[in-house]
Amino acid sequence: MAARFGYRAPRRREELLALLGEYGERARVLAGGTDLLGDVRSGLAHPEVMVDLKRVEGYRELGWSADDGLLIRPGVTINDLLGDDRVRASYPLLAACAQDLASHQIRNRATVIGNVVNASPCADLSPALLCLGAHAVLSSQEGRREVPFTEFFTGAKRTVLRTGELLEEVVVPPAGADARGSYHKLKRIKGHDLGIVGVAALAEDGALRLGISSCAPTPLLVDGLSTHDPVDEVVAAARAAISPISDVRCTKEYRTHMVGVYVRRALEEVA
Amino acid sequence: MLISVTVNGDVFEREVEEHWTLLRFLRDGLGLTGTKEGCGAGECGACTVELDGRTVNSCLALAVEADGASIRTIEGEADQGRLSTIQAAFARHHAVQCGFCTGGMVMSVRDLLQRNPRPTVEEIKEGIEGNFCRCTGYEQIVEAVLDASGQLDAAKGVLRHV
Ligand SMILES: Cc1cc2nc3c(=O)[nH]c(=O)nc-3n(C[C@@H](O)[C@@H](O)[C@H](O)COP(=O)(O)OP(=O)(O)OC[C@H]3O[C@@H](n4cnc5c(N)ncnc54)[C@H](O)[C@@H]3O)c2cc1C
Ligand code: FES
Ligand code: FES
Repeated sequence: MAARFGYRAPRRREELLALLGEYGERARVLAGGTDLLGDVRSGLAHPEVMVDLKRVEGYRELGWSADDGLLIRPGVTINDLLGDDRVRASYPLLAACAQDLASHQIRNRATVIGNVVNASPCADLSPALLCLGAHAVLSSQEGRREVPFTEFFTGAKRTVLRTGELLEEVVVPPAGADARGSYHKLKRIKGHDLGIVGVAALAEDGALRLGISSCAPTPLLVDGLSTHDPVDEVVAAARAAISPISDVRCTKEYRTHMVGVYVRRALEEVA
Repeated sequence: MLISVTVNGDVFEREVEEHWTLLRFLRDGLGLTGTKEGCGAGECGACTVELDGRTVNSCLALAVEADGASIRTIEGEADQGRLSTIQAAFARHHAVQCGFCTGGMVMSVRDLLQRNPRPTVEEIKEGIEGNFCRCTGYEQIVEAVLDASGQLDAAKGVLRHV
């Protein structure tokens, strides 16, 4: 790493929030570092100080409650999520998306929250969290606010998070007992490739929701569908929602085509 | 910053720069050059080490993050010059050509076999999906892992390279 920066690793959340307040723009939160250290290395990020959240007490734990469902804290890694039997049993869609993210080594470090804060249009966890109706709890020295993920992403790599603010909890409401989910991600090779197109589908009590990645500046939720809708109509709704671009990985025509293919496959599995 | 780490059972206290990666600390700070830098970006796995029992890309971790941690590198694999079961299987199956990927590959295989002592071929491929080999080819590596996990039967002619 050529760039120089300072490093702080607070043990208490109050200390962490104070550091973020004090340094403002000059600080970056360091979680698993799989995005941030790459950005520093390639000159895209220039923090003066890294504020490591991994030593804050309690941040590596998953929370459960009958009313609120699953509570994901900032230090919870993708493999922490996958290693939890309750997550696999109650939120198979979340587990499927997590399983598709990068390699085992990266999943050991990458956090769930870092994945959504990074706000890449191709992030794997975002489509699942959108389908599941999750919301974010944002904390700073000024206080806390709750933002549903449908309002969290504002553009490619942009979110509503303010300077000095921490995404402290992701809250996933309890999943219905009959909920069925599936995730399809187009990529060249598993293990080290971001998605070219990603389609998550969740069917619950006859309602159908699609979470789509890599097809617009932000991950998208297509809501208000039913498992009884004709397949062609669901495909049309998905294609109407996306605004894909052509880039080094494929053309927008291919993305549009593959969204249809994956929506059909997903419906065979969940509807 | 002064850090204290345990590497392959030995405790080291060292002054490190905050911006040093764990990879740089292991190689330049401790002289443990078995851990390689391929891409420096989390893609190739040549820098794989075990940090508090979990495999990580040491090019994507800071040395200061490892303060107080226990690390295992490829140098901890052989026991006083005697190859481990995995290393011996790699040698037997010609799973090493230039050797650049091998240190990281062995770390991932070790981790896989600890989690899953008798992996299927699919599970082996998934276990090493974060490790690139650019010259041996993966067939021999997969065979070495099957052998190391006691799943090759030489009598049935499955051992192709011996
Ligand atoms: C080789 C490779 C392959 C990959 N493949 C995939 C893939 O297939 N699919 C995929 O979705 N992703 C992939 N990724 C990216 C994935 O690893 C990251 O998105 C990861 O989940 C980010 O989490 P982190 O803990 O590493 O975050 P960091 O890198 O530590 O942080 C990311 C950003 O979020 C901020 N941040 C982190 N936590 C918080 C918080 N609690 N509050 C406020 N801000 C915060 C940081 O300041 C930084 O800006 C890949 C990465 C690599 C290197
Ligand atoms: S050098 Fe670390 S993954 Fe390639
Ligand atoms: S042995 Fe040369 S890269 Fe794998």
